[in-house]
Amino acid sequence: MADTLEFRHITKYFPGVKALNDVSFTAYSGEVLAFLGENGAGKSTLLKTLNGDYQPDEGQYLINGEEKHFKDPKEAIAAGVSVIYQERQILPELSVAENIFLGRMPTSHYGVINTSKANEDAQRIIDQFGLKMEASEKVKNLSIAYQQMVEIMKAYSRDNLKVICFDEPTASLSDTEIDSLFEIIKKLREEGKIIIYVSHRMSELSAITDKVAIFKDGHYITTLVTKEATEDQMIKLMVGRDLGSIYNNLDRNKEIGDVLLDVKGLSSDYVDDVSFQLHKGEVLGFSGLVGAGRTETMRAIIGADPMRGGTITLEGKKIHCHNPGDARKHGIVLVPEDRKTQGILSNLSVKGNINVSMLDQNANKFGVIDSRKETKVAEEGVRSFEIKTPNIDKKISELSGGNQQKCIVARWMATTPKVLILDEPTKGIDVGAKAEFYQMIMKFAKQGLGVILISSELPEIIGLSDRVIVMRARKVSGEVMRQDATEDKLLSLAMIR
Amino acid sequence: MKLKKIKLSGNQLVLIIAQIIVITLFSMLNSNYFTMTNLINILTAAALVGLVAVGHTYLIIELENDLCPGSLCAFIGVLSAIMVTNWGWSIWLALPVCMLVGGCVGLFNAFMVNQIHIEAFIATLVTQAIIRGFAYIICNGIPVPVADASFVWLGKSRMLGLPVSVWIMIAAFVIFGFILAKTKFGRSVYAIGGNPQAARLAGLNPKKIITISFFMMGVMCALGGVIYVARMQTGQPSANVNLEFDAITAVVLGGVSFSGGVGNMFGTVIGVLLIQSFNTGLTMVGVSSFWQYVARGALLLGALATDYLRKKNSEKKLLEISKQIG
Repeated sequence: MADTLEFRHITKYFPGVKALNDVSFTAYSGEVLAFLGENGAGKSTLLKTLNGDYQPDEGQYLINGEEKHFKDPKEAIAAGVSVIYQERQILPELSVAENIFLGRMPTSHYGVINTSKANEDAQRIIDQFGLKMEASEKVKNLSIAYQQMVEIMKAYSRDNLKVICFDEPTASLSDTEIDSLFEIIKKLREEGKIIIYVSHRMSELSAITDKVAIFKDGHYITTLVTKEATEDQMIKLMVGRDLGSIYNNLDRNKEIGDVLLDVKGLSSDYVDDVSFQLHKGEVLGFSGLVGAGRTETMRAIIGADPMRGGTITLEGKKIHCHNPGDARKHGIVLVPEDRKTQGILSNLSVKGNINVSMLDQNANKFGVIDSRKETKVAEEGVRSFEIKTPNIDKKISELSGGNQQKCIVARWMATTPKVLILDEPTKGIDVGAKAEFYQMIMKFAKQGLGVILISSELPEIIGLSDRVIVMRARKVSGEVMRQDATEDKLLSLAMIR
Repeated sequence: MKLKKIKLSGNQLVLIIAQIIVITLFSMLNSNYFTMTNLINILTAAALVGLVAVGHTYLIIELENDLCPGSLCAFIGVLSAIMVTNWGWSIWLALPVCMLVGGCVGLFNAFMVNQIHIEAFIATLVTQAIIRGFAYIICNGIPVPVADASFVWLGKSRMLGLPVSVWIMIAAFVIFGFILAKTKFGRSVYAIGGNPQAARLAGLNPKKIITISFFMMGVMCALGGVIYVARMQTGQPSANVNLEFDAITAVVLGGVSFSGGVGNMFGTVIGVLLIQSFNTGLTMVGVSSFWQYVARGALLLGALATDYLRKKNSEKKLLEISKQIG
């Protein structure tokens, strides 16, 4: 009989957002089920509530009809549920065998670890997988792909493995490595495991998956049979509505002005020789894979990371920002990617958050703050960015994600900047709020600001930017004008060849 | 200036009630407890803890800490006694020099935290040991007596019915309370305590704020050390052990959270008064000093547990709100 894994009414809240909303469906053994959805659709959260990393607020899991509650990932693994994460969970200083049998190394009667037996057992699994590696090799000496294999073998080495989940496993693999991963997934499928496969790459779905479960904004939408579904069909379900019309109806700025920011040969510890120009009233997109150096370029410009070389010219004047405070004084501001760790001050109110970059302007010459000025700045921000909050003294952490993000934008716009850098501004906010954001960006461009938009969502980059810079492996790999920008073109510039 | 109503948080209300209970309880156990003389004694004793707690309020809100105040007060105490008694300096010269020395020790702490990236807890533990050593070294381990009239004035005489040292404490509370609540610097303290990374990206300079706060803590300790010697009329290298313990307890009781970014000076005032009336009360009803250690530990544990519960509660509240939004 086939094994089943049933998700029943799974709901999970995070501060400011409902990450999973009444998710119910069933996965069966002997087939590979893909989870498909945009960033923030809830795929990874679902995996984490499955393996006990998070506790669902409502709902339960049933394996073969039996209700399961995992207090932590350890319990889940013991019950045969393993998740292979994007970030490696291995110990680089230990050997392959030690990693595979972590916490369960074979021992002699006296509790002494029997290394040679562990190596033999591990080698047997390695051979089953058809891999060329030694059980006694230290994991840090292996390629990334092989390190991932070690993790899979670690899960596989448990006799009772029933469910194995892959969270974007191919993100850092080469084509041949992906092929050998797929071979192993097929082997697991033949052995009757329940396999869940999370990926953003459409092309992989037909290569490896049997069914596709589609998620959107924390909701489970439906499950399709991969062979019978078209890509368009899947995208439509996953985006939920045609964002194309939103992009087309944006009120774009048509008068792009002179060069505002001129970056030449910028280098830091994380990027090499980056050059580009930004014009007044322009939306300049930055595309590329995660880790290509987009965020790092911006951090070097605003002085969050030290600059090692190159020049930055703002309105014809050479500038050098030693820290983000300098950049603010010059009028270059960054809305950071990770709202929670880099954006909001969760202990403070909406008012406090909006005003944190306005301390100089709000204080008299003795440094005493005029709280009326603070109130005015905050009220203006709330009004012009339509921040939904009962009052400005509300704690920012009590707002929804989209409104928190608006507060951060309001914080920076209060300083009347010249260059506004937005790093993944719509990550983790719902579709309605996204559309509002797009209009806001266009408004900024019309006001004559130079806007730099970093986004990993290609439709967003293509839909909003006047020009797109693509980065690959710490460098600029190409520049594409709006009329020439297609997903294929940007992807081919972004991919490592 | 308009007088605004002081807004009491629930926590501060609980503390004020606790304060009343403590005073009532000890008054019943010892009839000398609730007398003017004794209440002033409590305030006098509170002055030292109070000054140190002012510094801790800033540091703990910034997610830092300081374990060296006890040692530093003793060291500065001995140093001031040597300056006045052995070198014949006026206290009005010795006091600012001592405050500067204290400030420099604070700068050293800030250097370790900011530049060598040592956790403040460990960094100041290092200073605690070194400074205690120097307290003994500079006097060869022999306490230095003080007889200078103006020095003793600092500890003994009164203005408007209250000892000078109490006025100094009140002034520190008011000035630093104002700075924390109303100035650019105060706003920055809360911002970097709430999220140092975000504050830096917002254009603030966390290292600078932390350095100034450690410097200020050093100055406060020096002031406290001098006042203490003025009261005791001797510079003792072994004095003020566990001072930081009382100050941290007071600050956390007062509502400053170890998770940073939360609290205010008014809470610290209540915390200091509470802990000092508790300590004095224990002595007066004849609890042995050995058991007093246990009681202090229990009090800090209680304060930390409260801190935890507060945090837990606000997280719960957040989730409730999310459910409503969702």
